[in-house]
Amino acid sequence: MIVSFKDAFKLIGVIIVAFCAVFVCTFFLNFYLDAQSLESLIDNEHTRVLYDAQMATALFTCAISGGFLALIAVVMIVFYIKLYVDKHSSDLGVLKAMGYSEVKIALRFCVFGLSVLLGTALGFGCGFAIMPTVYKGLAIEGLPEIAITFHPALLFLLVFLPAAVFAAISVFYAYFALRRPAYELMRGRERKIKLSKRIKPEKERSFLKETCLKTLFGKKSLAFFVAFACFCFSAMVQMSASMESLVPNGEMGWIIFAIGVVLAVTSMFMAITSLVNGNVKNIAMMKAFGYSMKESAITILGGYHLFAATGFALGTVYQYGLLSLMINVVFKDVAEVPEYNFSVPAFFITLAAFIVLYEALMLFYAFKINKVSVKTVMLEN
Amino acid sequence: MIIAENVKKSYKNGMVEVLKGISLKIADGEFAVITGASGSGKSTLMSVLSGLERCDGGKILFGEENITEMNEKQLTEFRRREVGFIFQQYYLLPHLSVDKNVRLGADLAGNKNYREIIEKVGLAEKLSCKPSELSGGEQQRVCIARALAKNPRVLFLDEPTGALDEATGRNVLGYIADLQKERGFTMIMVTHNLNIAEMADAVIKMNSGIITEAYKNAAKKTAYEIGW
Repeated sequence: MIVSFKDAFKLIGVIIVAFCAVFVCTFFLNFYLDAQSLESLIDNEHTRVLYDAQMATALFTCAISGGFLALIAVVMIVFYIKLYVDKHSSDLGVLKAMGYSEVKIALRFCVFGLSVLLGTALGFGCGFAIMPTVYKGLAIEGLPEIAITFHPALLFLLVFLPAAVFAAISVFYAYFALRRPAYELMRGRERKIKLSKRIKPEKERSFLKETCLKTLFGKKSLAFFVAFACFCFSAMVQMSASMESLVPNGEMGWIIFAIGVVLAVTSMFMAITSLVNGNVKNIAMMKAFGYSMKESAITILGGYHLFAATGFALGTVYQYGLLSLMINVVFKDVAEVPEYNFSVPAFFITLAAFIVLYEALMLFYAFKINKVSVKTVMLEN
Repeated sequence: MIIAENVKKSYKNGMVEVLKGISLKIADGEFAVITGASGSGKSTLMSVLSGLERCDGGKILFGEENITEMNEKQLTEFRRREVGFIFQQYYLLPHLSVDKNVRLGADLAGNKNYREIIEKVGLAEKLSCKPSELSGGEQQRVCIARALAKNPRVLFLDEPTGALDEATGRNVLGYIADLQKERGFTMIMVTHNLNIAEMADAVIKMNSGIITEAYKNAAKKTAYEIGW
């Protein structure tokens, strides 16, 4: 079949994204829940102020780091599932034509849920293991020590629920894709053809320019995925760098920074892998016609640079806007929350890292495609 | 008996009419060839007859069953039970070995002896090979084995030799024709090669979405007797 249970271990990107999001959410949410137990110990006004500050810190870190990472993980995984199913639509059509039922084929896609489960379970375990450090880092002097408690509800919410939800999303999306006639799936025909009222005369363009534009606009979801991954990279790396100075404990700051970077790099890796896989056939065809690898790669993949740059710029604006909003509006009355300013060095370091990573991944794939025969590419895509 | 009555099919929101009221009859166990120039509608007729696509109008009967009235689930069940396909582009699953590709078909019919068919098509030595490691002729033979492993009552073939050289094409055709005689299934082949029509029991010629000529061959030729 198209996917098997063994494939669950191969979806490394999905596992890492799920791991990062749950890792961060586990210790922050656990801390937030445990910190609430301190309320019964408050016996004077001074302790009340400290307690409020403690809760605000917990909520702040939960909302900023955990919430943002979880949101990114959801969007990345959903898009990855969508692109994976779309890429295999011809194989889905073959199975449907042979007589396999839509439900039976679609159910195989629940392996995405298994990959997510692997990631969330690992993330939850590691999150728990690192909790003593987190509790030490977030503790405020003058308040009693917060004891680490296991919350079964968190295990369900962070480990089993996401796995079940992603399994359901994958199965439903595959089932939805399978509703098209088998012949259409096999031949990759468009579901609907929009009829425009006015027929615009096409501009005369060179073949390479025309191919570049058609590739870009023919795969809008891929362009969005690339832009979103670059948005995530920009926002997460800059935000993680800022969190390092915002979170009072140095160790904690480094953990958040490391997780942000891992998630950012993984998002970029997933997006560029999908981008290249989605266009490898066109590149192979251009190579077969006699275009060089460089010409082919620039024509087919070059147009996505614009989306990547837009995503990066939006990510910068977003992270600055979000942190400023949280600090200056949501937590403006809390004394413990530090001031936040836009970091120019962090921006330039992130930009340089982004350019190097993006181009290095592109080069890596160009090298990889160059070694594969056209026949193999045509058969496997 | 397969009966089509006034079958119509169009694309692009009705702007391109591909089948303009096709009516035909194909008897059980018959080898029918649908032929015509490119764009005459022969592949569309095959996909509609086999339940791969729905027609916009008319009726298609497989014995007592009217497939035009079936819902998607019933149509899938029908294809699983009755129909096998061999395509020009093979449509093998690229990440599966020869053995697993054929097993995909065999599992549907509960056929445990599917390896016999792989042996018969001469690929016993290549069980663990992936499609990209095979030649065009070998890939087509995997496609044939996959279709036959289902034990279909009707086998649909869309230009099965279109991508093959003459020698391989003759071998593939000869092999399929022998199997049809041996197993007695109905075979409907779409081809633009008029010579192949000389091998068939019935010939249906199409042009611009209509049947222009239909006749039965009094004497059939073998794959090695026809021109190419």
